[in-house]
Amino acid sequence: MSADTVRAHSAEPSASAIRFEGVTKRFGELRAVDALDLEIEKGEFFSLLGPSGCGKTTTLRMVAGFEQPTEGHIYLDGEPVETVPPYRRNVNTVFQSYALFEHLDVADNVAFGLKRKKVSSDEIRTRVAEALELVELHGREKARPRELSGGMKQRVALARALVNRPSVLLLDEPLGALDLKLRKQMQVELKGIQREVGITFLYVTHDQEEALAMSDRIAVMEHGLVKQCSSPEDIYEHPSGPFVAGFIGTSNLLSGVVENGCVKLASGATCVAEVPSDCPQGAEVHLSVRPEKIWLDELEEGMVEVGGTIVERVYVGTTTQVIVELGPGMRVTALEQNVARARSDDRWQIGDRVRLGWHREHARVLR
Amino acid sequence: MSTVESRPTAPARPAAEPARAPGRPPKEFDRPRFLKLFMGVFFLFLFAPIVLVVLFSFNSSRSLQDFQGFSTRWYETFFESESLRESLVASLEIALVTMVIGTILGTMLAYGLVRARTRVSSSLNVLMLVPLVTPEIVAGASALLLFTQVKLELSLTTIILAHITFSISYVTVVVRARLVSLSHEVEEASMDLGATRWQTFRLVTLPALWPAVVAAGLLVFALSFDDFVLSFFTTGESPQPLPVRIWTQIRFGVRPTINAIGTFMLVISVVSIGLALLLPRLFGRRESGLKVLLGREAA
Repeated sequence: MSADTVRAHSAEPSASAIRFEGVTKRFGELRAVDALDLEIEKGEFFSLLGPSGCGKTTTLRMVAGFEQPTEGHIYLDGEPVETVPPYRRNVNTVFQSYALFEHLDVADNVAFGLKRKKVSSDEIRTRVAEALELVELHGREKARPRELSGGMKQRVALARALVNRPSVLLLDEPLGALDLKLRKQMQVELKGIQREVGITFLYVTHDQEEALAMSDRIAVMEHGLVKQCSSPEDIYEHPSGPFVAGFIGTSNLLSGVVENGCVKLASGATCVAEVPSDCPQGAEVHLSVRPEKIWLDELEEGMVEVGGTIVERVYVGTTTQVIVELGPGMRVTALEQNVARARSDDRWQIGDRVRLGWHREHARVLR
Repeated sequence: MSTVESRPTAPARPAAEPARAPGRPPKEFDRPRFLKLFMGVFFLFLFAPIVLVVLFSFNSSRSLQDFQGFSTRWYETFFESESLRESLVASLEIALVTMVIGTILGTMLAYGLVRARTRVSSSLNVLMLVPLVTPEIVAGASALLLFTQVKLELSLTTIILAHITFSISYVTVVVRARLVSLSHEVEEASMDLGATRWQTFRLVTLPALWPAVVAAGLLVFALSFDDFVLSFFTTGESPQPLPVRIWTQIRFGVRPTINAIGTFMLVISVVSIGLALLLPRLFGRRESGLKVLLGREAA
């Protein structure tokens, strides 16, 4: 299917696809979403990422119209949608459970939305065929959902939503029920489909790797609040706080205090670091360093150095995790690539003293 | 009551492996044989009286003890009797109206109970079961009391009203079980795709519930058709439903016509239950109504 045939028709070219203005959703005492301000551009692949209960699904359901915000406004294509019921919003959802209609075959499942919009039967036939082509399910029109595998059901759910040419496609952990290999494959396909149809995707997931792999931008959420909203690279390289640093990828979070423009770790070592201006002398901070940014022994000039004892080595195929103890209760994980020239196993034994180092720009001071 | 009500509860297998006799090799499938005997006796007691009624309905003599030859004379007496024919029609009418109205109301109640998500619904769930456990004689007496209080003349209408009251509970129990297993997301998906609430119910919810609704409706038909106690309390002078008519006749002596009527009612009940089991299949469903009634849902 060509990109034009399913490209969303937008009312106002200038308006962003979705805009949240101070959106709060309360369930009794619980603030599921707390004063959310967010703008999602047209054609963007935007992910809401966070642990379960962080409010990401509630946010999605408010866009779909299944929940109403307690406070604030949501705009779709520049239009406020408080008074618009789900069946009149120009958005479609791909559910985690697929939510296919078991009593209808694949073609009728996909045609469901078009029939409600009274599209002519000729056009329905063409568009259903196109949509099934897009998700590579042509030839399975007459199959019942129960006869399909999980991956196929997922594709039907995707086709059923996309065929309506929504201005925004909402995806609620759509790959959650698939096994790892299929999930990886679908990530690539989903991204490809999004690029092809050019529809705005609002993607909810708790899988940070998935969000990093597919998104143009990610909003990391915790307890109903957006902790950071930026590009995948930015979120990974420059996490805004300990939560984001810990949630995205693995990160070493070393606690310490600010001392003369450096960070004095709890183990006693003093590390040179770029201390942000809002961290005064004596402030309690975390020093965040990614495991793959830590060098062992063969250090370069100008690196930040600390010493430690190797306490564990974990061989995981492409890399070996080396766990180093800097002081009592303070451990650091470093990753060694298992390249042909050296396996870290050959170089160090448990109990060896080792020097760790990193470039000062790779360490982040987080409050 | 219907055959489904008295469905066999024969133990399929012993709960634990029986103790091994010393010196004998262990037998994994050493099931106690007396259970088979137990099951046989159970079915004998269940079906022998029914078989006898059917058999003697074709007896050529008046005797209820000796079978003296095949004849359909008791069926002829049955159908020639104007009052019995009238009662048969009345009973069918009651069962049909009860089935339609009871099924609609019961389905609506089930939908409300499952989907309303209010605090009331849990207590309503319990209230709804009350008609199922109320002794029928109490239900009958209280219905009679109510109808006389509001000065409603006893007639087919009062019987139907009483029957609908108890049938709603049956329908609700059966339909609700099915509805609980239907993911809420499926209904949301429908609305997400542009279907209004009503369209969603009609196009998505109801088709998914259909096997349960059909099964519940035919079950109610069978229950209503052969109900005696409730009908006895709420019936008017004429026409009386068939079970009440039979009871009136028996007071003046048992005649073999009873066997013919009994057999005929049995056929109607069995057919309606049979339909309850088969109809969902005819609608292209994999799961039969039997599974629905027994609560064994296809995943």
